[in-house]
Amino acid sequence: MPTITIFQDDLESLLTGHHKVGPGITMAQLEEWLMLVKGELKGHNSETGELRIELQDSNRPDLWCCEGIARQIRIKQQGRLKPYPFFAKNQKSPHHLIVKPGMEQVRPYVAACTAKGYRVTEKGLAQLIQTQEKMADIFGRKRKTVSIGIYQLRSITFPVTYELVKPDEVRFTPLGMEAAMTLSEMLMVHPKGLEYGPILAVKHLLPILRDAKGQPLSFPPIINSREIGEVRVGDEELFVEVTGTDLPMVVLSLNIFAVNLADRGATIEPVEIQYPTSTMLGKRVTTPQDFGKLKTIRIKAIERALGQELGETVVKQALEAYGYDVSAEKGSVKAKLPPYRHDLMHTMDVVEDVAVSRGYAEFTPVMPAQFTVGSLSEIEQVSDRSRELMVGLGFQEIISNILGSPDHYSRFMRLDGTEWGRTVDVDNIMSLSFSCLRQWMLPSLLRIEAASSRAFYPHRLFEAGDVAIPDRTHELGSRTETVLGALIAHATTHFSEIHSCLDVLLYYLGKEYSLEPIQHPSFLEGRAGRIVVSGKPLGVIGEVHPEVLERWQIAMPVVAFDVNLSQLAMVGESVSSLP
Amino acid sequence: MDISAAIDSLHPLEIKVLMTLGTCQAGTALDSEQLATAAELEPSQLSMAVEWLLAKSLITVQTETVTPIVSLTKVGEEYYRTASPIERVFASAREATGTGKRLTIPDLQSQEGLDPSDVSKAVGRLKKEGVILIIQGGCIETTGRQSPTVEALRTLLGEIHDSSKELKSFTEANRQVIEDFAVKRGNAKEPFRVDDRVTRSFILSSDGASAAGQLLKQGVAEEVSQVTPDLLKDGSWRQKRFRKYTISLRPPRIGTGKKHPYREFLDTVKAKLVSMGFQEMRGALVETEFWDMDALFMPQFHPARDIHDVYFVKEPSHTTAVDEPFLSRVAEVHENGAETGSTGWGYSFDVHRAKRLVLRSQGTAVSARTLAASPNIPGKYFSIARCFRYDQVDATHATDFFQVEGIVLGEDINFRTLLGLLNLFAREVAQAKEVKFLPAYFPFTEPSVEMHVRHPRLGWMELGGAGLFRSEVTLPLGVTVPVIAWGLGLDRMAMVALGIHDIRELFTDNLELIRTTRGLF
Repeated sequence: MPTITIFQDDLESLLTGHHKVGPGITMAQLEEWLMLVKGELKGHNSETGELRIELQDSNRPDLWCCEGIARQIRIKQQGRLKPYPFFAKNQKSPHHLIVKPGMEQVRPYVAACTAKGYRVTEKGLAQLIQTQEKMADIFGRKRKTVSIGIYQLRSITFPVTYELVKPDEVRFTPLGMEAAMTLSEMLMVHPKGLEYGPILAVKHLLPILRDAKGQPLSFPPIINSREIGEVRVGDEELFVEVTGTDLPMVVLSLNIFAVNLADRGATIEPVEIQYPTSTMLGKRVTTPQDFGKLKTIRIKAIERALGQELGETVVKQALEAYGYDVSAEKGSVKAKLPPYRHDLMHTMDVVEDVAVSRGYAEFTPVMPAQFTVGSLSEIEQVSDRSRELMVGLGFQEIISNILGSPDHYSRFMRLDGTEWGRTVDVDNIMSLSFSCLRQWMLPSLLRIEAASSRAFYPHRLFEAGDVAIPDRTHELGSRTETVLGALIAHATTHFSEIHSCLDVLLYYLGKEYSLEPIQHPSFLEGRAGRIVVSGKPLGVIGEVHPEVLERWQIAMPVVAFDVNLSQLAMVGESVSSLP
Repeated sequence: MDISAAIDSLHPLEIKVLMTLGTCQAGTALDSEQLATAAELEPSQLSMAVEWLLAKSLITVQTETVTPIVSLTKVGEEYYRTASPIERVFASAREATGTGKRLTIPDLQSQEGLDPSDVSKAVGRLKKEGVILIIQGGCIETTGRQSPTVEALRTLLGEIHDSSKELKSFTEANRQVIEDFAVKRGNAKEPFRVDDRVTRSFILSSDGASAAGQLLKQGVAEEVSQVTPDLLKDGSWRQKRFRKYTISLRPPRIGTGKKHPYREFLDTVKAKLVSMGFQEMRGALVETEFWDMDALFMPQFHPARDIHDVYFVKEPSHTTAVDEPFLSRVAEVHENGAETGSTGWGYSFDVHRAKRLVLRSQGTAVSARTLAASPNIPGKYFSIARCFRYDQVDATHATDFFQVEGIVLGEDINFRTLLGLLNLFAREVAQAKEVKFLPAYFPFTEPSVEMHVRHPRLGWMELGGAGLFRSEVTLPLGVTVPVIAWGLGLDRMAMVALGIHDIRELFTDNLELIRTTRGLF
């Protein structure tokens, strides 16, 4: 979901067609229009006319720029897309780009075109760079699948070759540097080399674009040459190339650049790419190229999904006003995406475009009428009942993070290296404070107690919630279970006070239990018990060990219990007073 | 005045004072001291009772006498322990005369460390008494006479040091000395202080006389503070008088059992959903990437699946197996769409990646599992699931949070019934009458909607996102009817309801805050 910065006057002039000053648009109008592109206005500076817009659709890179937003709105206003001449079949291209053998092991594909007659302005250049960056970063997965280079056309002699060279064979001055260096030096020294170098799996042969005179254009996907590959304000002739690992994505990215420049007034001339072997688009591929396919869609399918009768004409109009090339037949439409889109996977994608084009407000909401019975899961019911009882016993409910630190969940509890101390740990740790899942509830309660010595006493706290208990026998390596923990803290608290609470709780939950003495490092020896129901251990109760309190920096006696509600719900006959 | 009511509200101390006055001959005035003695009260108790009775107009002030009382100031206590400036000046002068030393006023100041003002006052007074002489060159000599002031001062400091005394108990001459050396405005550095002691005497007002009369006649029932089992058992409560309390005071604070305010908010949402026919789903905190993402048709190269967006589990890092036929079907759909009518993503699906264990990053994982487990058709499901995102924690981002989401399955599900369901949520959950639907994007739904509502207190806000599950999601899991997937973003509503501005406070460790927060739902 990229967020881009565009300028209001630029948008206005692109809306009316290039070189014209458009009428001022209001923000309310703009927000309305942004629905067509799934855009949200995030910021507006009325002095500079700067607009910050977030685009939601990660499959529509054509919309991540001012030209694309304007285009989608313009098509809606004009009812259909005016075809771009350079996508016509059988284009003769004056320029060639030769792909040498061996590229398939490194970065197989390239697409290119030239653009003449658009004089680059300051704002235009900023937009060009922004589009280049967003496309390569998000759509091109940080330049891995797609990267883009833009050059001054007049310095280039065709044909351009795309080939592999040895790391120290070629030297040129990269953008952002003062001196010429070899490709291997760029990988080691240049910031872009350090950032994107890891993309190149093969290190002994590196890709390069050179012109007929042997001048390097760039070292894709790392960096352009400073001599040819630096576009400046005032330039009127550009050469654009896209390299990458996925041919449709590479061609699509070039198509987007071509229509963007054309929308700004440039004349686009295709470049013929000559591959050594055939690709899915042939051996000689002229780019930009409209490689979209017609898809036949039944009107019934659209109507069923949208819940509304529309008919062929309405569907055709809606799709055309969204940029599709459409022909209607009886009961169906044949639709093709515009050449700057390649996101049609399923009929439902077309269905959504019909709805977006017409506007969601055109569809009257209807209540789903089928009858269903609502209910809570069994464990949620047990949990809710326990919570009611704990509140009745005078306990304050707590909610805590489940993701926490091993210090809190194990070390402070004196459980290091014990079975009780095992937790589900995070592999890609960002912060130790959020690096494992809680395996029991007591630490969550002690966290509150440690922070609340000034809150008036007594403290009676409880939490019912999920924990993750490591379990090798489980397919997920752990079991998520619902646990109830309770704690009492005040100057004269003792075992029997918390024992009474557990006794009441389990009585009303209808479970007969017994306590068995247990040696548990978190509790004082001789004052700790295992809670057993029907022979199954379901939790612990006791006076919290003074050393545990010391580690938490708690200066008040604490007694507590921790009982596993998930397992409690499954075991033992519930005791009922009814016959 | 309702005399009986007045009597009922009397404090025991007030009763004692009233009865003391009532037993005297009518019209007798007693002063505070006499009253205290007669009623056997401490002065502080008496003054409280007297003030209350005056406020109730049951007694009035008969006379008010003002008596000047002398006491020592701090300076006076100091002079008593050591010596006053005049004593020191006189002693130095006598010593100088005896030894024939020259003594000037500056000498006195430097030797004795006295204030120039103290020295000049002392010298002036002694000279006036004829006790000293100022001779040529400004030297001081004694005449051999005794100073009455010095003597009187010493005696008075000694007498008053023990306890304050009435001014009139001193002789005329001593009174003069006291006045000369008493603290006055503009001169705080003196040994004596003269204060006016006000002595009042009190008589019963007419109401007071009636009350006292009635009290004497009916006798005072023994007053008790509490009803006790013993009093009830033998019926002796009938002879007791139960003191009335001042019930307008704030009560003492008590701790209470209470649900957590955020949980209470979620409980109301839960109840709403059940009332709308939704069944609760549960899921695990740890999930496979398969159920968390693959089954939702999020391609394995999707940016949200990056190492910087999801928490991976360390040990074990992978599940042993993902249930078939779901794994194979989903893999095929990702690769080429299989029989879903989709083209698929067109990449090579990594089965090992699907088995990677992660901390559940979206509640939709729970829905995916439900779809695969033969759900009811028609069916409505919800879950309030804890999810984890690899986010820097700040006021608006939590790393550990609840997601409220679910699904609706049925033959009648389509885009318009989706909007109808969202309308219902807007009305039931946010009490909103105005709703706006915006096109949105989620990887697993098409069409997708974002719902904005006008909340009665918050104004326009995003309430949630929804859409129809893509066939690429439902068909491989064995569901052939259309399915709505919906999610509600309730944290902002919760934060406003709880009056907090930082999302971290939803899980605060501040017990005082949790105890005092009351939700406005």
